[in-house]
Amino acid sequence: MEIKLKNLTKIFPGNPKKGIPDTRAVDNLDVVVPDGKLMGLLGPSGCGKSTTLYMIAGLLEPTSGEIWFGDEDVTDLEPEKRGIGLVFQNYALYPHMTVYKNVAFPLTNLRIEEKVVDKAGQPVLDSEGKQEIKRRHLTKDEIDKIVRETARVVQIEPFLERKPNQLSGGQQQRVAIARALVKKPKVLLLDEPLSNLDARLRLQTREEIRRIQQSTGITTVFVTHDQEEAMSISDEIVVMKLGVMQQRGVPQDVYNDPCNKFVANFLGTPPINFFAGEIKGNKIYIGKEMVREITEKKVPDQKCSVGIRPEGIVVDPAGPFHFHVDRILTMGRDIMLVSTHPEAQSNTKFLVDAFVKVGVGDVAVTVKPHKCFAFSLEEGEKRII
Amino acid sequence: MEQATQTQVKPATPAENTPIDSTELHRNALDRDTKGGKQPKSFFKRLFKGRERVSADAGEKNNWKAWLYLAPSLILLAVFTFYPLINTIVIAFLKDYNYVTQTNSGFTLDNFGTVLGLVGQTSSQTTVYLWQCTKQVTDGVTHYYFSTSSGVLTEVYFQTDVIKYALPNTLLITFITVPISIIISLLISIGLNSIKAFKKVLQTIFFVPYVTNAIAVGMVFAVLFDSKGIINFVFGLSGNNSFWIDQGAGLGNKPAWMPMFALCVYIVWHSLPFKILIFLSGLQNIDKQYYDAAKIDCAGKWKTMMNVTVPLLSPQILYIMITSFIASFKEYTSVVGLFGMPSTDGGGTKNMYTIVYYIYEQIKGNVGYGGAAAVLLFIIIMIFTAIQFQVSKKRVYY
Repeated sequence: MEIKLKNLTKIFPGNPKKGIPDTRAVDNLDVVVPDGKLMGLLGPSGCGKSTTLYMIAGLLEPTSGEIWFGDEDVTDLEPEKRGIGLVFQNYALYPHMTVYKNVAFPLTNLRIEEKVVDKAGQPVLDSEGKQEIKRRHLTKDEIDKIVRETARVVQIEPFLERKPNQLSGGQQQRVAIARALVKKPKVLLLDEPLSNLDARLRLQTREEIRRIQQSTGITTVFVTHDQEEAMSISDEIVVMKLGVMQQRGVPQDVYNDPCNKFVANFLGTPPINFFAGEIKGNKIYIGKEMVREITEKKVPDQKCSVGIRPEGIVVDPAGPFHFHVDRILTMGRDIMLVSTHPEAQSNTKFLVDAFVKVGVGDVAVTVKPHKCFAFSLEEGEKRII
Repeated sequence: MEQATQTQVKPATPAENTPIDSTELHRNALDRDTKGGKQPKSFFKRLFKGRERVSADAGEKNNWKAWLYLAPSLILLAVFTFYPLINTIVIAFLKDYNYVTQTNSGFTLDNFGTVLGLVGQTSSQTTVYLWQCTKQVTDGVTHYYFSTSSGVLTEVYFQTDVIKYALPNTLLITFITVPISIIISLLISIGLNSIKAFKKVLQTIFFVPYVTNAIAVGMVFAVLFDSKGIINFVFGLSGNNSFWIDQGAGLGNKPAWMPMFALCVYIVWHSLPFKILIFLSGLQNIDKQYYDAAKIDCAGKWKTMMNVTVPLLSPQILYIMITSFIASFKEYTSVVGLFGMPSTDGGGTKNMYTIVYYIYEQIKGNVGYGGAAAVLLFIIIMIFTAIQFQVSKKRVYY
């Protein structure tokens, strides 16, 4: 099911008496999550991504704007009527119930509609000649079947009789997903599902989420502040800042083609390096050194901020760009050059292949043109090239 | 990249050399925590162990300081708690104890027998056991007779007030008021917790009974339940149905459930505020996310309460259950407050007797009987508390 957010806005009222201003948590958000896709909502903390998710879930009421599930306007619908599954940041598993009961709990509340048939299997018609529909709870056997099936999908079968506090973080996380999935929701919402896991488990679990999402084909919205996480499993990402959507697209496209300095800075580890620079005659300069020639279009001369991705350099004694290497960190596959440059805003970090011979001291490099961006110094810090 | 290097760092090697799944380790650690494992089990052992460690660290010479700091509370506890406690138990086993002259006639178990109506006395103060007597019923009144060695039949008198009134009344009060007051206070606190307007005001109002004097409020209730009182007026009761608490020899035939009902209403009302206070603080500690999760899981209000609120409040419920069981086993001031005496029929029978009332009255009677009744009450409370702990083990989630 497609999720459509139209001009979604959430304002948390402040207290004028105490001089606390209103908070615009989400500002005119317009996003479409295509059916069956995994969408990552990405941004630093306080950017309104969780607020957006809770509005989709129905736990928060939007100040203005609309939320559509397919062709249905669900803006004013109660959360229980929206048919969603939600995985909370700290899972919110009922601590007093076993895993089995946790997963079965949504099913015990569910009422299904069933066509009434007589003993011969013929449909029973009501007084208006329509098929009579009976609403009923699921039976114990039906619940058991669904719970075990879901447990198999998320691989928690061995722990069904345990209490949540007897499980590791990763196992709890899968239980939370099972609980969200068990009533076959139309939409799955995940609120920072990996933030409570250790680094290795995080890698494992995000694969798991991807696998479960693809095997169930459920439309999923995923909130995270970890760009690596979002980029690795999302079909599409939305980058937000202070309630405003910055950019939306396929992760690699957003990474390769950031629309402003914020997005460029937010995506990528180690982060992109910024230098004070200048565009003169369609060439980007850092200090007096020309790092990139602009061939695509004509750009007026101006001061700018130059961003170079860590992997965006090639060590080349004849290269035009120089910086001073302070330390060399071996990362295994790559080595990281922790360096300084007079025009850089802070320590810069560059990655080169492990076999490249570099020593501490000055080094000359060429800059890969597609890894080098120029950003305007004006408000919004839009990308120039 | 930085993350990648971090994951290379090996975790601390487990004690065994065999590789262990990290989740397995985690669970084992949890099992150790929950089941006690090698940790010292009893409170006293832990206390002792802690003391050992401290003295090893700080040196024996600092010990007197600790005792100095403890002294004020230890002295008060010793004088007003431990000494009376031990003394009560001792007195319970002493024959004819006189607390003015501090004299007694030696060890005996008869005090317990007397309280339970198993040991009686003849008019000549001879102690006789129930099984030595012959029973005779004349005109619906039971008499016990004992034939002395000389063959003379003498009547034996047994104390039946505890067995007949105090014990049943105490149990009745406990099993009526405790569940009812817990349910009512739970509902009130859930209600209070879910409203936003006037929350503080209502909280204060509900807490007022706690700071009012039990005797004074009891007298207010006595007025309310008076035969010409507001209860009868509101419900339009008159005649035999209107004597809730009235005393007088002429009213001997009115049913005992009526004063008991008034008593229970009063006890429930007076015990609500403390429970509401505890439940409210417990409710405020429940993570809001569980309610959000329940909403997403389509649980209705009732189901959320039974499946989320009550289980997560179970530690407070257990605490309240145990304390209010103990409190209502010790019920006595309410009887004094409401009736002024342990009787509603002018003293014909002690139909509103409770165990503690009996104990209190033995100050003027036989202190040994009072001690024995106190020990019996102590045992009863111990048993009930132990049962509650046992039953709650599976149901209480901490």
